[in-house]
Amino acid sequence: MIIEALIGFTFVAALLVLLAPNEWAGRLAFALSLVPFVGSLYLWSGFEAGGNALTGGTIAFESQIEWLEIGGRSVSWFVGLDGISLPLVVLTTFLVPLAIVSAWTPIDTRQSQFYGLMLFMEANLLGVFMALDFFLWFIFWEAVLVPMYFLIGVWGGPRRKYAAIKFFVYTNAASLVMFIGFMALVFGLGDSVSSFGLPEITQALAAGELGMWFGIPPETLAMAAFLAMFFGFAVKVPVVPVHTWLPDAHVEAPTPVSVMLAGVLLKMGTYALLRFNFTMLPDQASMLAIPIAVIAVLSVIYGAMLALAQKDLKRIVAYSSVSSMGYVILGLVVFTEYGVGGATFQMVAHGLISGLMFMAVGVVYNATHTRMIDDMAGMADRMPIAVGILVAGAFAYMGLPLMAGFAGEFFIFVGAFGADAALPYAPVFTALAMFGIVIVAGYLLSAMQKTLFGPFRLETDYEVGPAPFHDIAPLGVLLAAIIVLGVAPDLFFEMIRDAALPVVEGVSVDG
Amino acid sequence: MVDAFAYVPAIVLLPFFSFLVALGAGKYLPKGGAFGGIAATAGSFLLSIWVALTVLGGREYNETLYTWAGGEQFELTFGLLIDPLSALMLVIVTLIALLVHVFSLGYMNDEGETGLPRYYAGLGLFTASMLGFVVADNLLMAFMFFELVGLCSYLLIGFHFRQEGPPSAAKKAFLVTRFGDYFFLIGVVAVFATFGTAQFAGDGSFPVLAEQALNGEFDAWTPLGLDVGTWFTLVGLLVLGGVVGKSAQFPLHTWLPDAMEGPTPVSALIHAATMVAAGVYLVARMFGFYALTPTTLAIIAFIGGFTALFAATMGVVKEELKQVLAYSTISQYGYMMLALGAGSYVAATFHLMTHAFFKALLFLGAGSVIIAMHHNENMWDMGGLKEKMPVTYATFLAGSLALAGIFPFSGFWSKDEILYEAFIHGLNEPLLLGGWIMGLLAVPVTAFYTFRMVFLTFHGEPRSDLARDPEPVRWNVKGPLSVLGVLAVVAGFVNMVPVQKLLGVEGIDFLTQWLDNEFGGIEGVQYSAYNDLLATYAGYEAGTIAGSEGITLIVAAGLGLGLAVLGLLVAWKLYNVPEPTEHTEKLGGAKDVLYNNYYQDEYQVWLAHRTEDVAGGANVFDQGVIDGVVNGISSVSLAGGERVRRIQTGLVTHYAAMLTLGLVALIVVLGVTGGWF
Repeated sequence: MIIEALIGFTFVAALLVLLAPNEWAGRLAFALSLVPFVGSLYLWSGFEAGGNALTGGTIAFESQIEWLEIGGRSVSWFVGLDGISLPLVVLTTFLVPLAIVSAWTPIDTRQSQFYGLMLFMEANLLGVFMALDFFLWFIFWEAVLVPMYFLIGVWGGPRRKYAAIKFFVYTNAASLVMFIGFMALVFGLGDSVSSFGLPEITQALAAGELGMWFGIPPETLAMAAFLAMFFGFAVKVPVVPVHTWLPDAHVEAPTPVSVMLAGVLLKMGTYALLRFNFTMLPDQASMLAIPIAVIAVLSVIYGAMLALAQKDLKRIVAYSSVSSMGYVILGLVVFTEYGVGGATFQMVAHGLISGLMFMAVGVVYNATHTRMIDDMAGMADRMPIAVGILVAGAFAYMGLPLMAGFAGEFFIFVGAFGADAALPYAPVFTALAMFGIVIVAGYLLSAMQKTLFGPFRLETDYEVGPAPFHDIAPLGVLLAAIIVLGVAPDLFFEMIRDAALPVVEGVSVDG
Repeated sequence: MVDAFAYVPAIVLLPFFSFLVALGAGKYLPKGGAFGGIAATAGSFLLSIWVALTVLGGREYNETLYTWAGGEQFELTFGLLIDPLSALMLVIVTLIALLVHVFSLGYMNDEGETGLPRYYAGLGLFTASMLGFVVADNLLMAFMFFELVGLCSYLLIGFHFRQEGPPSAAKKAFLVTRFGDYFFLIGVVAVFATFGTAQFAGDGSFPVLAEQALNGEFDAWTPLGLDVGTWFTLVGLLVLGGVVGKSAQFPLHTWLPDAMEGPTPVSALIHAATMVAAGVYLVARMFGFYALTPTTLAIIAFIGGFTALFAATMGVVKEELKQVLAYSTISQYGYMMLALGAGSYVAATFHLMTHAFFKALLFLGAGSVIIAMHHNENMWDMGGLKEKMPVTYATFLAGSLALAGIFPFSGFWSKDEILYEAFIHGLNEPLLLGGWIMGLLAVPVTAFYTFRMVFLTFHGEPRSDLARDPEPVRWNVKGPLSVLGVLAVVAGFVNMVPVQKLLGVEGIDFLTQWLDNEFGGIEGVQYSAYNDLLATYAGYEAGTIAGSEGITLIVAAGLGLGLAVLGLLVAWKLYNVPEPTEHTEKLGGAKDVLYNNYYQDEYQVWLAHRTEDVAGGANVFDQGVIDGVVNGISSVSLAGGERVRRIQTGLVTHYAAMLTLGLVALIVVLGVTGGWF
């Protein structure tokens, strides 16, 4: 019941905030958003690792209620957690209060609607990470788009309409393709499954129950489904070449929305890839290992090169997400303990670090009202603490050891390098992807040198001073979390590994 | 009995606490938190001495303390490895850190710098990271602290962030070393993939497994069907990438001269004595692995010899005091690399130690001169400072004699041993001999630029008003200089190998015995074990001239010392005059090349710009082609934009309804075709 309480409370909180007056909607939303966070800590404290929820492991806090029946298969309210989903749930509930506080300064119109939508989005995100029934999961998955669309389209920058529509259409079209792909699988399984429960479907697929469907042989069906789902999720991640909605959405979105977009929404894509593609159809993933690895390396290097070319601070951070998500894909495709585990860890680490970077850039923007690198210099002189944390965040992004980003990236690298059993030429792919750590240092250090250091320069008609406490505080909290996870990654990695191992063992590696 | 090893974590953590204190409360503390740093490094220094004495008493320590990430394939852990090598390094690092903290009182506080808490926080974090690197018991932990050290270097080089130069130099330093660290990180990952462990020492350590793999006793993973020997050479070279970056070896040396933008005490601590030594220390730390791969060793020796000569020639024409010292540092680390490549683990460590003392001394001496000259570093504005700054002069001179390799100063002993070892092994290996020749040629050049610097700074007539009336320095500057001055004179006496061999006096090769576990240490991680490995797997054997070790010794030492004296005399002739003039015109076209550092910076800047061009091209491609296709598709599929617009401007409820409707429609379509209903 605790999961129902958590999601239910968040929906109610969204409603309450929506009805609250603008003046104190922000504060109310913050206070209410602490409750899901505490709830997720409670889940964490009571959590006992028991394998992967989809492959027959114990499902923590499991709750299943029959709902309705479609075509002889039951749809149920079916939720639960394992070592892969819990860290993402904690990440979500942790980021939302911080994002809400970071909105206090920049959001000055229709506050109650803004914060209400943020909480509505949170509720749906929690649903995405906890749902274990396909229909339930899909409803949450789609419902996340709605608040996001409005958050960008109403409170965004000058081209907010374009960005919001692009985001919506792009990801919605992808969802459609994915939906069809998954349905093909369900049809192919025929009578061997009696519900849309993801564990049942996963286990039926593993048992080889996939049969002919409309004369399509099961191998072709599985492959087609894999490709459709991969495309659908790849857009969400996003990977090259389906990434172009991301920078537009980020640039137009207000800071707190960018935090949620980069911090949690992108992880929906990688989470779903892991759950659906790599857990349900590992053999297809193995067959396509080389093309997927090419996409991963391309995302890392090409994304980083694009970041290098940007003149807008926020665009730099936006493109660097494409680069970081490339590492995740590489980690998934190698099917090793550290690879898949590291990919999941990197989702959390990147969520925190990109959240910090977007917030810090937002704090600078609050003071400068420009994000163009050429328009400012020497900001460290005027806002030392904010800049100090921004520098720390940038180093976290560059993979500085004892910060979370290094742990995630190192796990992926060490898991991928020797994995030539699952991925031919694994050492070559890994070494190529690792070059991303040089380029990321190149563009972040250059951008920081130009904007933060040197003699102060910014054309304004007002005095630029230090940022207010409520702008700085969330940055400090995020930085602390990044360091804690970097020093003690096993806080999450232990449970992640436990849930990742069955996935790794499920793949049949040839020779 | 209280165990010294139980306090090793405190050696690392004390400076870390001083970092936290300076960062959090520095502005409320006297001297911006300096005393916390001094107390912490003094504590670490005393503990390090205790640890060293415990090792001397015949004990060692090699334990895993913390599991960073557990796994079934392999565990990633932190641990401590205390043996003669790391104990020695602990003492060196903590001593210099302590002296630099004291010196900073004179250089930073007395000079009225702002941002002192940040400065002392940086020093504290650096010291902690460096010490963490030194005690690391495995390659991953070493890499992690290696990177943190790089961060501190970045922060401290860029200390004066309100100016243009320091932030740019800081960026360059981090970026160039990061390029090297990229290869290092591949090396770390490769070691895990190959051996399943990255422990430096002990039974299951990777150097031991590597030896077993070469004997066919251990089945090591190799990629792409490579044989183990070739693969180990590649792994060795990958790790070497990080070494070349951090120890500023050709071609990744370009960041170090720029790093002189940092405050001078920082240059002394980080860019002379400790961080730059990290690369050399790393090779020494895993020498059991390198001893198995002769190709890597030959490359190390050649890079080292080349860098020694190459950097020394650039030092000849520099006008600023710290620039001369920067190129000298690059050159001296070249010698250490040459020693490692020649298989002489002891000589490299020996030179690392003497160099740490005399180069820290020279940098601090330069700092004293810079205080006196009100931060003018140009040697052509100096002259005649010796009467006005006797302590600085005397200690600087001691350091210079050591650097030039003049008998009996410390640098003589260590450099002589390096050249001797390179020579006798080079007789059987041409690449090594090439390294030796370049190392030998660098000797007179070193002596020349060193004494050009001494004469221009301290001798002759003052050439500016600043030099006529220098600002006096206080005890906090003279104290550290005196300590290091004494060490620069006497540190060489701990390892008088040539004297022992020629005269047969026993027991004056303390350092060799120390590093050969005569007192205590970990079995197999010692000088003689490495020599056995070198002889077995790398085919190293010592040659002699005329079949006599004695004659070889005398020839090698005489050659080195003679060339050093020659260089000193030329400098004397040219610059020890009342009114010295520039003689660089005599170099002709070579002058421009040297002034411009062989255009090394230019090609790296060119590379950076070309990368940016490629990035720009990618950006145009991305916006035009990839996004263009997407927009094209969407405008076709959304034909009738007006209708879409009307839909797109609805309410949340509208959307929810649309979504549900769409979903239901989808299910119906699928249901009908799928025969559900």
